[in-house]
Amino acid sequence: MVGKKRVAVIGAGMTKFRRNLKETGKELSYEASKMALDQAGLELSDIKSVVMGTAPDAFDGVHMKGEYLADGAGAWEKPYSRVFVGGGTGVFAVDAGWWHVASGKFDTCLVVGEEKMSSCYPHPAYAFTTIFDQIYSRPLGVTLIWIFALEMHRYMHVHGITKEEIALVSVKNKRNALDHPCAQLGANITVEDVLNSEVLCWPVQRLDISPTSDGAAALVLASEDVAKKLTDDPVWIDGVGWCIDSTYWTNRDLYYPQYVQCAAQMAYKMAGIKNPPKEIDVAEVYDPFDYKELHHMEGLMLARKGQAAKLTAEGVTQRDGDLPINPSGGLLGVGNPIAAAGTMKCCEIFWQLRGEAGKRQVKGDPRTGLAQAWGDLMQYGSVVVMRS
Amino acid sequence: MSTEKIKDARRMVHWPGHMETDYIYTLGIAGEKFFTEMKNSGRIFAAKCKRCGFIYLPPRIYCERCFEKLTEWINVGTKGEVFTYTVAYVDVDSSKLKEPTIYAYIKFDGAHGGLIHKLGEVKHEDVQIGMPVEAVFKPLAERKANINDIKYFKPV
Ligand SMILES: [Zn+2]
Repeated sequence: MVGKKRVAVIGAGMTKFRRNLKETGKELSYEASKMALDQAGLELSDIKSVVMGTAPDAFDGVHMKGEYLADGAGAWEKPYSRVFVGGGTGVFAVDAGWWHVASGKFDTCLVVGEEKMSSCYPHPAYAFTTIFDQIYSRPLGVTLIWIFALEMHRYMHVHGITKEEIALVSVKNKRNALDHPCAQLGANITVEDVLNSEVLCWPVQRLDISPTSDGAAALVLASEDVAKKLTDDPVWIDGVGWCIDSTYWTNRDLYYPQYVQCAAQMAYKMAGIKNPPKEIDVAEVYDPFDYKELHHMEGLMLARKGQAAKLTAEGVTQRDGDLPINPSGGLLGVGNPIAAAGTMKCCEIFWQLRGEAGKRQVKGDPRTGLAQAWGDLMQYGSVVVMRS
Repeated sequence: MSTEKIKDARRMVHWPGHMETDYIYTLGIAGEKFFTEMKNSGRIFAAKCKRCGFIYLPPRIYCERCFEKLTEWINVGTKGEVFTYTVAYVDVDSSKLKEPTIYAYIKFDGAHGGLIHKLGEVKHEDVQIGMPVEAVFKPLAERKANINDIKYFKPV
């Protein structure tokens, strides 16, 4: 076993994901944390450490927002830290929560992911402009979307993948989200709807992208001895992994996310997983753009390079398919409050492995699940493998 | 909890805030060499790692792979090829651009990597991945030792 203690997830919670929620980031953090504590059957006083995952300060518009959010995340007079790896934060926060407990230092850890993006006016896209290199990129007027567009185009070019094939991901995830009570953008749309939506930066169109969202999600982690006292159905964190690649776009092979592969290998090795597509029953793969679900399935070795689109077209990744991907509805359907979205994916895997996902429950009796997020300057991967 | 789908945040009870701060960024040791060469002589330099052979463009003073100090500068010429590109229709705050702009990742021969820049003197319908391009510099008097000393890359 890696770590001194085996670590379980014993409770999860999340707010609705919406644009322009009235709640402040603190209030959102509180709602999600309280729900997770209630499911775990714990009081705040039972929580021995807190990890907050929240992405660039510019989104909430509060400099040092880790400190700002602390009380909403239940951190009063507790060991508290904020972790931050851009879009990878929401899953990495769970990795960080794992080591708090696995080290033997704390019996419990509350992990909270939060983002309130709609405060940035007139559009949060502007908050992204200062994340880029100030010497080589920003003087060109770089935007988040055209950087993704460069990567998507390279991925399509190398494998000969079409826009139609990629649009199927958006169709699937928005439909899955119809069954999620917290979802922002559940909808029945068609491939044509995606292809006819506004072109933002070719090949990226409006319906290829997740929305601007506010929200929070939380998990309660506990050591094995504590977990077994509280629940008959702990979900174990059996693998964690994270990795960063070069921050220079032009020093990376954009068609393949090597950093996701490295993070996945780290988690698979720890969990003893040798054949990921066979051994993973359900996965929440980071999908801020539709092509990213395919790109990440390949990085996670759930599909061979260039084959994820084929699996999608064959229905393998549908909720009732052999390898359900994003049964929650993902970022494209549930919404994308950055760090909260990654943590939401961990919540979904927890609920799926406990058989508590309601209308979203995948078929069979899933025993092994994976959540993954990706971020920083599009070169960071974070992975969690859970087992029931 | 509230679930209204309000599009315009100004319709909510709110306090309008402001977080702007201004900065003067140094180019760094590698950046100053790179942009000074570009400004003075229209040359593009990469930096080579003696230990692992990786050639960095944009140049750096250290190898991120083996942490060797980089001291060897290589003139990589002004030509490369379009490795991938996008046609941008929206601006940094998601508002519509008057004219679409083509941005590309230009891969240079003789270096690992390349530069992100605009493409010019070409219609977006005619751009292709793999297309050879070269840098078009601003006139000497207008150069300011920054990435926009290159106006754009054009097909060759
Ligand atoms: Zn080296």
